Amino acid sequence: MKRVLSAWAGIALLLLSTAAVAEEPARRPTRTDKCPVCGMFVSRYPDWTAAVTFQDGTSAWFDGAKDLFKFLAEPGWFLPGKKAADIRSVTVTDYYAVKALEAKEAFFVVGSDVFGPMGRELVPFGKRAEAEEFLRDHRGKKILRFADVNRAVLDGLD
Amino acid sequence: MKRPRPPPWLERQRYLLDFTLSSLGRRKGKNLALAALYTLVVFGLASVLMFTQALRGEALRVLEGAPDVVVQRLVAGRHDLIPGDRVERLSRIRGVQEARGRLWGYYYDVSARANLTFLVPDRFWGKPGEVVIGEGVARTRLSRPGEPFPVLAADGEVVVLRVRETIPSSSELVSSDLVLLSEADFRKLFGVPPGLFTDVALTVPNAKEIATVATKIRGLMPDTRPITHAEIARTYEAILDWRSGLVVLVLAAALLSFGIVAWDKASGLSADERREIGILKAIGWDTSEVLTVKAWEGAVVSLSAFLLGLLLAYVHVFVTPAPLLAPVLKGWSTLYPDFRLTPTVNPFIVSTLFLLTVVPYTVATVVPAWRAATTDPDAVMRS
Repeated sequence: MKRVLSAWAGIALLLLSTAAVAEEPARRPTRTDKCPVCGMFVSRYPDWTAAVTFQDGTSAWFDGAKDLFKFLAEPGWFLPGKKAADIRSVTVTDYYAVKALEAKEAFFVVGSDVFGPMGRELVPFGKRAEAEEFLRDHRGKKILRFADVNRAVLDGLD
Repeated sequence: MKRPRPPPWLERQRYLLDFTLSSLGRRKGKNLALAALYTLVVFGLASVLMFTQALRGEALRVLEGAPDVVVQRLVAGRHDLIPGDRVERLSRIRGVQEARGRLWGYYYDVSARANLTFLVPDRFWGKPGEVVIGEGVARTRLSRPGEPFPVLAADGEVVVLRVRETIPSSSELVSSDLVLLSEADFRKLFGVPPGLFTDVALTVPNAKEIATVATKIRGLMPDTRPITHAEIARTYEAILDWRSGLVVLVLAAALLSFGIVAWDKASGLSADERREIGILKAIGWDTSEVLTVKAWEGAVVSLSAFLLGLLLAYVHVFVTPAPLLAPVLKGWSTLYPDFRLTPTVNPFIVSTLFLLTVVPYTVATVVPAWRAATTDPDAVMRS
């Protein structure tokens, strides 16, 4: 009975969220949203969620900053028809506050002992001081900005 | 209008079941005793399982609102009041979103002969001098909104507060013994000086960071003890598992003796029953028909006993306040004079019980019947 109810609630939420897309990009992934890079359900990892919002108001969701950067390197490969020019905004989830954060303003720590759903991760922070403390606490290696993340960094994480 | 005839297979089962029931009626004493014993065992097991399941549900509901980390100050190994400046220092720890000093405590109410929990909520919506009380408190002290609520303060003075309202709640366990009041009244009642708190509750948004925060607190304030959400949950689980294990252990003896009796009754065919099978075979029954009757017999006895036991257990746990189990399992029985558990039936528990009781019993009745039915009817009747 409970499962039936929650299924209906899920459907209702789904309808609500598709209705909301028309006006404003959805803030949260729904239960059926999959990461276009790895294919995993994103809503199970709210503290890792990263998002790309396109010019037409639709969004793509990722279960970590690593997959987000892989997507940004070649959007058309993962979502045929999408180009870098279609992207309106890119957000990641702040590790300490668990809130959405503009990816271009984030500080990413690599090499730490904190793992995401896809293993080694770029852990995002809003402030440099936070990133530095996290690096000390969790034996991180380096702090990177958005522009520093390239192919070599991503290959080093896999 | 002609009534449609049921399919022949179903018709046949109906006649066989009819025969089974009258055959059961012929050995009333034996079957009733067996069914009663059976019902008792199912009742005992189902009561324990349902009760612990319901208590676990209540505990989870309590935990839902619990803070991520609670920081207590210890003096000589005992819980002590924590100074307010610690709240600010704790909130500066990376990963902590908010730190709140909390004021709460227990008060032994002589007139109700129960322990009440006094708590200053985040934002108390009443005026100073007013209290908001739980259903259990209202019941035992017979206080209704608008009435005075006298409390004996720490300095011996009787402070008369006024009841503003009672808290309606989905789970009585959470709020039954609760008394909410303003900070000023709390400090006056218990003699807690300004600037001191009972403990500090922290909000840590990222669950992965809780362990790191706890480690930092231990380094930063060696005289405190951080208690995480997971630790509280583990303690609840351990206590419940330990207690229900204890009861199941006691029941294990009953279960074992039931097993022996049931096996003996079901598997050993009496001379009477053997003769009956022999006669049935002699008048032309198939072995398969004899087995079907025996399977029906086992199913009728065990299924009705199972359903009756389950129903009794449900009534015992959720309708009456579980008089047989509460003293052992609840442990708060003195604090909560009367609290009802939220009724839940876990399909997992029901199917486990079903597989453990009905299925083996039915099988146990069929096997000896098969042995008797496959031998020559003449030999069976003569022996």
